[in-house]
Amino acid sequence: MTDTSVDTGAGTTAGGRAPQPTGGNGAAALERRAKRAQRLRRLGLHTASLVGLILVWWLVTRLELVRPLYLPSPGAVWDAFVTANTDHPVSEGSDRIVRGEQNYYLWEHLVASLQRIAIGVAAGVVVGVPLGLLMGTTWLGVLLEPYLNFVRSLPPLAYVGLLIAWFGIGDTSKIWLLFLAAFPPIAVATISGVKGVREDQVNAVLTLGASRRQTLTTVVLPSTLPEVLTGLRVGVGFAWTTVVAAEIDNGIPGIGGLAYLAGGQLRTDLVIACIIVIGFAAIALDLGLKYLERALVPWRGKA
Amino acid sequence: MNPTLKRVLAGAAAVSLAGVLSSCVESGRESTTAADSDCPFEPDESIETTARIAWQPIPNGDLVVKDLGLLEACMPNAKIEWVQAASGGDVVEYYGGGDVDLGLMGSSPATIASSEPKVRDVDLAVVWIHDVIGDAESLVVKDENVTEISQLKGGKIAVPFSSTAHYSLLQALIEEGIDPNKDVKIINLAPEKMPGAWQGDQIDAAWVWDPTQSQLLDDGGTRILSSEDTAEAGRPTFDLGTVDRTFAAENEEFMTMWAKLQDHAVKMIADDPDAAAESVAVVLGIEPDAARAQFEGLTYLTAEEQAGQDYLGGKLAEDMLTTAKFLLDQGGITKVGTPEEYAEHVDAGPARRASE
Repeated sequence: MTDTSVDTGAGTTAGGRAPQPTGGNGAAALERRAKRAQRLRRLGLHTASLVGLILVWWLVTRLELVRPLYLPSPGAVWDAFVTANTDHPVSEGSDRIVRGEQNYYLWEHLVASLQRIAIGVAAGVVVGVPLGLLMGTTWLGVLLEPYLNFVRSLPPLAYVGLLIAWFGIGDTSKIWLLFLAAFPPIAVATISGVKGVREDQVNAVLTLGASRRQTLTTVVLPSTLPEVLTGLRVGVGFAWTTVVAAEIDNGIPGIGGLAYLAGGQLRTDLVIACIIVIGFAAIALDLGLKYLERALVPWRGKA
Repeated sequence: MNPTLKRVLAGAAAVSLAGVLSSCVESGRESTTAADSDCPFEPDESIETTARIAWQPIPNGDLVVKDLGLLEACMPNAKIEWVQAASGGDVVEYYGGGDVDLGLMGSSPATIASSEPKVRDVDLAVVWIHDVIGDAESLVVKDENVTEISQLKGGKIAVPFSSTAHYSLLQALIEEGIDPNKDVKIINLAPEKMPGAWQGDQIDAAWVWDPTQSQLLDDGGTRILSSEDTAEAGRPTFDLGTVDRTFAAENEEFMTMWAKLQDHAVKMIADDPDAAAESVAVVLGIEPDAARAQFEGLTYLTAEEQAGQDYLGGKLAEDMLTTAKFLLDQGGITKVGTPEEYAEHVDAGPARRASE
């Protein structure tokens, strides 16, 4: 068996697409242009909807349909955002300069949360993928599935106190919480990926004399990868939704902790600024993962 | 795009992301932009304690000490770690996990922690009264025709459970012969969620502290009772400074300096409220004027006043006993300790030494 033929679908399918007959050069260019136009159109749509949304928001606050405490104006939120990212006097005319919010800039709060999420999700991948493979291929699946479903359905706020008691108030308990949020979807996705591997493909390589290990690395893993990546995206999403719960206690720096503290002081403008930053960061991260997906499993949906 | 190139790019993106993430933001950064304050006393370089202190966003001297870095300035060789807590119950949890040595909590959590069942061997002593709660916590009602608590019968009252406000509310209801379990509906609500429920007419009243209290008053609410009233009725509530008893015994000098600085902050609130308000405002993230206004609802005691018979020197242990009896009825604890046991959990030593 040559190397290339054993190489994952990635090489073969994508490679097979690239050297298209040169006669179709003009058609390819056309296709590319059409794609670009489509992308531009989509971008325009997103921009227009965002502008429209902000306009409605501004109008609602401008007409004072809702009190600023419940919905501050876009301007107030922007001010809170800027203040939170700069050194500023504690109040107008005061010579006491403070750094951002709670002594950290907003972006530092975000980075602190991203660090925790990265470690928690990374641990989720390290544990979730092998566990999912084991559970999908062996009797362990039957044994462990109820436990996995149990952990999966727990609301984080209910057990965050326990984690603090077990792992202290530092980052360890927060990372544990994020791990517990991120790892089940990754494991579940891996299981379903493994179970979805086509048997005739496995039999095919076995017929060709592949060892068990080779079967795993050349067929099972590559065909599971798309599902794993989907699980990763879902897991990251869960980690984001858990970040405030993780950072309620001693969560500074941390964007969830900041949102919680600001809420306690009824500073809705800062809370909304935090929410928007969390939302954008989550979208950006998800776009990155989507890109990773396209780069790692370009055959997805084409096989 | 060439698939190999794509993969390389994806890898590069992942690596650079990891790079950004590993440029760590560390927690517990010193307040670098604060005016570097000097120790108001002779700094003691011989104290080399590591102290982990749980703080809560409550406008009192503790925040002044924290913001001005007084502990750090007066004990340059000690290691001070500030840990933020969301409630007194959390502080007790921290003690249980061995995560903190000192911590601020209300008198209800402190009493619970000093009674059976013991929360995982937590053994703490009350060594400071950060403030006596007065108008800072009060019962605000929505209907302006309601002037008596008895008129709230059948209504819905919001309060954060297990807090000093919860204790004061139950106390006030029982005082008027209203059964908290039958005649009214008491719901557990975090302060920041009250204005929304208030606006939507989902609650009739709330017993709460600032800034929510001021917000509800601005929204047309009327204050009909406050913790000042329950205190006069013999049920005072406090925000207390607590310490792990073993830690206190092993670090007597640290405790003395700590109390001296708390005393200094209390005097600062009285003598230079603007400067104190500025510090509190920095920690809470609010305007100094708002912080200053919040001082009004609390009473601050100097070390000398605290050490006396009326507080740490005697009556506080009785207040804890009263609180415990009440909590037993309400199901907060399973057994009321003896007066001696509560006296054991109050230590006027640091306050007394600080006032000398």
